[in-house]
Amino acid sequence: MSLNLPRTLRNLLRLRAPVSFSPGHSLTPAPPLLVPDSPWTCFSPELRGRRMLRAPGGGLRQGAALPTARTMLALALLAFGALRAGSGSYLAVIAPQDPTLLIGSSLHATCSVSVSGSDAPTAEGLYWTLNGRRLAPELSQILNATTLGLALANLNGSKQQSGDNLVCHARDGSILAGSCLYVGLPPEKPVNISCWSKNMKDLTCRWFPGTQGETFLHTNYTLKYKLRWYGQDNTCQEYHTVGPYSCHIPKDLALFTPYEIWVEATNRLGSARSEVVTLDILDVVTTDPPPDVHVSRVGGLEDQLSVHWNSPPALKDFLFQAKYQIRYRVEDSVEWKVVDDVSNQTSCRLAGLKPGTVYFVQVRCNPFGIYGSKKAGIWSEWSHPTAASTPRSERQGSSGACEPRGGEPSSMPVRRELKQFLGWLKKHSYCPNLSFRLYDQWRAWMQKSHKTRNQDEGLLSSGRRSTARGPTWR
Amino acid sequence: MSQREGNKVDLQSYSSASSFSHLEAKIRQTHSLARLLTSYAEQLLQEYVQHQGDPFGLPSFSPPGLPVPGLNSPAPAHSGLPTLERLQLDAAALNSLSPLLDDIRRLQADLNPFARRLLRRLEDASHQSRALGSAVEVVLGALGATPGPPGPHPMLPESPGVFLAKLLGYRVCGLYQEWVICTEGDLGQLLRAGLG
Repeated sequence: MSLNLPRTLRNLLRLRAPVSFSPGHSLTPAPPLLVPDSPWTCFSPELRGRRMLRAPGGGLRQGAALPTARTMLALALLAFGALRAGSGSYLAVIAPQDPTLLIGSSLHATCSVSVSGSDAPTAEGLYWTLNGRRLAPELSQILNATTLGLALANLNGSKQQSGDNLVCHARDGSILAGSCLYVGLPPEKPVNISCWSKNMKDLTCRWFPGTQGETFLHTNYTLKYKLRWYGQDNTCQEYHTVGPYSCHIPKDLALFTPYEIWVEATNRLGSARSEVVTLDILDVVTTDPPPDVHVSRVGGLEDQLSVHWNSPPALKDFLFQAKYQIRYRVEDSVEWKVVDDVSNQTSCRLAGLKPGTVYFVQVRCNPFGIYGSKKAGIWSEWSHPTAASTPRSERQGSSGACEPRGGEPSSMPVRRELKQFLGWLKKHSYCPNLSFRLYDQWRAWMQKSHKTRNQDEGLLSSGRRSTARGPTWR
Repeated sequence: MSQREGNKVDLQSYSSASSFSHLEAKIRQTHSLARLLTSYAEQLLQEYVQHQGDPFGLPSFSPPGLPVPGLNSPAPAHSGLPTLERLQLDAAALNSLSPLLDDIRRLQADLNPFARRLLRRLEDASHQSRALGSAVEVVLGALGATPGPPGPHPMLPESPGVFLAKLLGYRVCGLYQEWVICTEGDLGQLLRAGLG
């Protein structure tokens, strides 16, 4: 069963669809909203709450017939926005259609109804909504019997990027026409462009949209690049790789020659271009984080952990060195401590830690001296956190007593100070190896002697203390 | 020739015992697909209205009945038609919906370029609509009925006004939901009546 289109719909062959607004173009009122004389009633018992405007006399037909002509199909859809003949049908048009406006500006709009039939709406019964909210009557003005005007001042930014929905309603709430408002700001100049190359194979750039940021309009960002002294402009294709304002250039990059890079921002209200950044790929190289990070205890030393890692595999391919940085924190803390004087080593010992405490440790790498370049590279991402715990303090684990026993030298304050002094010596690299080894040996010797003394005293009952106390300690 | 009592289809008359079980399995499988797609279609419509802004999605939303020539909602008399004819209409509608959903996706890519989940759902719906339509045609073929002739692809205007574009998408997503529900019901009835 074919769709029998009225002649007016066939005449739509000559009508153009409304054009989306773009800055600088004049506004063209859209064809009016059409409620056609549908041969069917859209019926869906499961879907309630959908009110349909039905032309009087529209009957029911069975099934969904296929169209007879593709062109008639397309234009029948266009009929939604076009004038139609027929009695008992309503139509309206809003002007302007899909305008773009600056925040704070005003808008004057009209909703014009073409009366057809005795029960057609008049301007008196019409009202406006904006994004579903009914607008105050004092904002509207009846211009004539069939036209309702609207005056909006000091417009706010659009609620959604697809545009604010300005709708003209009949008295019964049904929709007669609609227009989408785009209210926002022109884009600001993108700023703070930063780029890095992973292993000299690609280039990723990131930028910020400007100080104000939100334009309330869909803003398109295009990253462009070219070789500084020759070559054509190229456009980056892979966006949003490391955040919303980023782009990735995967290949075909030259080395030993500078690139010029900039970002262009465009929306319905205008465009802006960032400053040009000039860089050589070799100066912005980074690597993957160091792999295979292991953290382990240093014997029984309760305040130290040893960190080992491997250099990133890419370093083997290139003629450059790397420096490393370590950061660590206590498990339940958010404050990281950074060790940044780890040169070209792949291991480090952390000291001055709390006994019996879980630590998270991360390592990152910075390649430098690439092909003789004097510039430092870009720090890699931190490695995945690796956790380890320092041994519990024996003094804490035994009786909980922290005071020295009788007969022992009163070594607690002296010991604490000595420990601090040796830690300071190590940090400032005053004979670090010599003092560190001695310090370790001394610590191990102290702990062993303390354990032995506890065992000896445990063998003796009260009143039976004798001279057989084992080694004496000086 | 099939034996029918009113709208009932006697599946067993179509084939031997072994192929009957295969046919039954195929119908069940297609019915399960339709049932799955009813929930996807509902999610698609909900996702769609979220990105268009109010009044889309409001309980008071009263859109006009947009015509999509050659593709309307299932008629009230649909349930009274013979089973095979209902399935033919289901298949035709689902196949027509696939390119329409593609067109709506293209419109939404322009209106809501960052609504990735919506765009993915529209793309999936286009594929799923075609898949379900094809599956129904396979069932029809197994039942000895020929699918209807393929119709020309419906076309949407190239540059509709924004509000019109939003309404068109709402209408198409609604039609997709209606026809998937209808197909699920028709297949369920085929299973119950045909195997009973």
